Amino acid sequence: MSDTSSNGHEREFAERWRDNAYGCFSSGHKFCREVCPVMQVTRNENHTPTAFHANIVAMEQGLVTVADVADDFVHCTQCGACELRCPNTLFTGDFYRHRTRTVDVVKAMRALMVETGNERPAWKLWNERLAADHNEPVLGDVPVSQEHVADWADGLDIPIGGETVLFVDCEAAFYRTSYSRAFAQLLQLAGVEFGLMREQWCCGGPAAEMGYADLARKHAEHNVADWRAVGAKRVIAPDPHDYIAFTEDYPALFGDDYEFEIVLGVELIAELVRDGRIRLTHPVERTVTYHDPCRLNKRKGIHEAPRELLRAIPGLTFKDVDRVTQWSYCSGGGGGLPIEKPAITAEIARRRVERASELEVDALISACPWSERPLSDVGALEVMDLFELVAVSAGVTVTA
Amino acid sequence: MGSAVDDAVLDELRAIIGDTDRVLDNVSSRAVRTRVPAPFPVHRWAQHMPDVAVLPTSAEEVSEVVKLANRLRIPIVPRAGGTGLSDGAVPLKGGICVDVKLMNQIHEVDLVDRTVTVGPGINMLKLNERLRPHGVFYPDDPASYPCSLVGGRIGTGGWSLLGSRYGHTRDLVISMEVVLPTGEIVHIGEGGGRKLRKSSTGLTLKHLFTGHQGTLGICTQATLELVPRPETEFAAFFAFSDYMDAWRTTGALTKSGLATLAGVVLFDEWKLRYLRRDDEAYIPQPEDVRAVIAVAMYGRRAEVEPASKIVMELGRENAGRYLGDEISQGDWASRHDRYATPLHGRTLDGQAVPMSWHCEDAALNYSVLPQVREEWHAIVDRYIREYGIFDDWGMFAYTNGAHKPWGDYLVEIDVGIWEQRLDDTNWEAWVRCKREIAEVSLKYGGSITACHGATRAGDAELVPTEMGTSWEVVKRIKRALDPNNVMNPGKQMLDEAYE
Repeated sequence: MSDTSSNGHEREFAERWRDNAYGCFSSGHKFCREVCPVMQVTRNENHTPTAFHANIVAMEQGLVTVADVADDFVHCTQCGACELRCPNTLFTGDFYRHRTRTVDVVKAMRALMVETGNERPAWKLWNERLAADHNEPVLGDVPVSQEHVADWADGLDIPIGGETVLFVDCEAAFYRTSYSRAFAQLLQLAGVEFGLMREQWCCGGPAAEMGYADLARKHAEHNVADWRAVGAKRVIAPDPHDYIAFTEDYPALFGDDYEFEIVLGVELIAELVRDGRIRLTHPVERTVTYHDPCRLNKRKGIHEAPRELLRAIPGLTFKDVDRVTQWSYCSGGGGGLPIEKPAITAEIARRRVERASELEVDALISACPWSERPLSDVGALEVMDLFELVAVSAGVTVTA
Repeated sequence: MGSAVDDAVLDELRAIIGDTDRVLDNVSSRAVRTRVPAPFPVHRWAQHMPDVAVLPTSAEEVSEVVKLANRLRIPIVPRAGGTGLSDGAVPLKGGICVDVKLMNQIHEVDLVDRTVTVGPGINMLKLNERLRPHGVFYPDDPASYPCSLVGGRIGTGGWSLLGSRYGHTRDLVISMEVVLPTGEIVHIGEGGGRKLRKSSTGLTLKHLFTGHQGTLGICTQATLELVPRPETEFAAFFAFSDYMDAWRTTGALTKSGLATLAGVVLFDEWKLRYLRRDDEAYIPQPEDVRAVIAVAMYGRRAEVEPASKIVMELGRENAGRYLGDEISQGDWASRHDRYATPLHGRTLDGQAVPMSWHCEDAALNYSVLPQVREEWHAIVDRYIREYGIFDDWGMFAYTNGAHKPWGDYLVEIDVGIWEQRLDDTNWEAWVRCKREIAEVSLKYGGSITACHGATRAGDAELVPTEMGTSWEVVKRIKRALDPNNVMNPGKQMLDEAYE
């Protein structure tokens, strides 16, 4: 790509984002800094959300190029804490219909990095493999493939298609399969009818988060076509990352041409428990705390349903940490960070588990499979998924 | 640029720091360590960049970097949170930015002698999260409580919303480790003590090293006061139709002798007009509300509850109207978040535009508040009409004396500035406006700045005037400690020490 056209991209980009960026740049308060999980580890001002916005103003002025800032924009899990903590969003956001859009800015800058030949090597490789296999390479060197995308469901007799389709995330389909089985078995226990897709590709969300917008669109188009082909009207998304893709990315891509009801797994299970269709009768004599997954708590404001489930489990001692305190917690697993900056992810996760350990609990419960790998890798505390815990209390033996 | 940071210097810095990720000379690292929230000449951004930023993790690293700078006469700009409302952390002559954010450890919590020892890169809210289980807290509570860092608070001589009860930053710092402009690591406290609150041995150096705006050294460790977590807090907001009534009530409240009084804030009519732009503020108040007082008290129930009755009586004198528990408690609780927001900027014809925030912070005596208020608004109004890029966001007066709230105030006029329209002409207009505001403060026996520092253009030129006969002493101290003028040069006219 020639310099001229790269400049053209940058100018266009700066023009598109300048007003939003200016809301941050001209105040410069930096309330976001101390809730940002990456910043808490690196303490490098380049990685502050404030810096991301300042870079756009600097780009508009010709002070920096996309190449200059590319590495800075890798340092983000897209957890959304900064947007919540921003005084602009907090106190005047509704009035002016303004939200400081840092997550979108990071995604857009990463897309610009791809467009202008400033890709990051590990993300490039990851997305090449996604393009080839249509699922994320979550097993490292062990290939994933469409042939095995539903292996997690072996023996559960889940049909293909129907009005309600269960979408199982790549991480959950190939790596954390016990999570998917627990969820599916809970639905079966409650008598919920659902099927699988004929060919389930990655939701495309992670590709979009890393800046691979075309690849993300291709996967979204495939999945929507598959849903239509099997007659789906409802899509159940147990994984918060998929839920973001289906409720934010897909509507943005397809506009009015997108007719599906998207159901979040944890809200569905909470409803089934509330309605008595899943009965939590088996005491679980454990002491646990709950990790608010960023994409539920910070991005979607969903924090009640998981707590409602935890409080409904007999015998369980639940030591809660409020959702606002958890704005500054993160597993480090999102936004492609572990692919490019695994050491930072590991340290974010270590700190999160350390906070949990201080509560003298014997397990940390999460509700997002992407958080569970880095949190488990810390090794200091057992990490369980909420669905697995609920399954125990419902008397469901999660079969392997 | 124009400084002496060349490849050889970068190599030496890398050798000192021993980690290339903590020696940053790429343009993005330099660009983001340029501005602070104070109004900024965006059109001259490049002129304010440091040449390199280093992120030290120990006093020894800071010391070696400063020694190198001193040897080669390279400017040093200390930077903590970069949240100052003046230009202390803005480089004026390039050089090495010493960014202390990685020095954010809690080194010791001493619950027996009631101190906590921390690095300068820690934030107060984060510190208090860790102190909470011990039943103590560090009560330095500026509006920037969620984002400013201890090192910056010390460097600027910060002011706290709870200062009338617990003291301000300099009252809360017990001792410090400081790297001098020549690189020596020294202990600064009361006499030789690390955890002593008062001594008369030698000279009292502690105040010299709080509020110097990074011109006398870099704090690398601080031992801070621990205060019992208050059992209760009480906040009350009173509305007035007349500013002078509110001013009289402010005087009565601050002279009440109530020891648990943490602060009194007086809002004027312009400030209320500004707040009415925000539908989430308490402002759906009738138009005849032209001044508001906020009062807060902290302490044991046995003290605060009876005292609150006196506050309620005093607040209602002079036709004050209590605004109710919800507004009082809610608005006080959100005091940190209710920061100036650029979205409230308005041009003369009412168009909403994003504006940056100038926050004047003069120290003024109680007696002169009404007169200064009129003169300040008149100045800003003149510039609004002439240039169309400014906006008057109103005034606050906050109790200023540590433990002595009655005599003087941190007086703030907030001015919105449409930075996107800045060019040399408009920037010079702003500096003139700023200077006129500061001159009024001096005319009435006040000080240009209670806490932000007189480091911005429009203030700095007046520092020798304000210091008067002591200016010679200031220059001698600066020259003695920083013989080569490497520590944050160009600030507060201290370059005059070398003429």
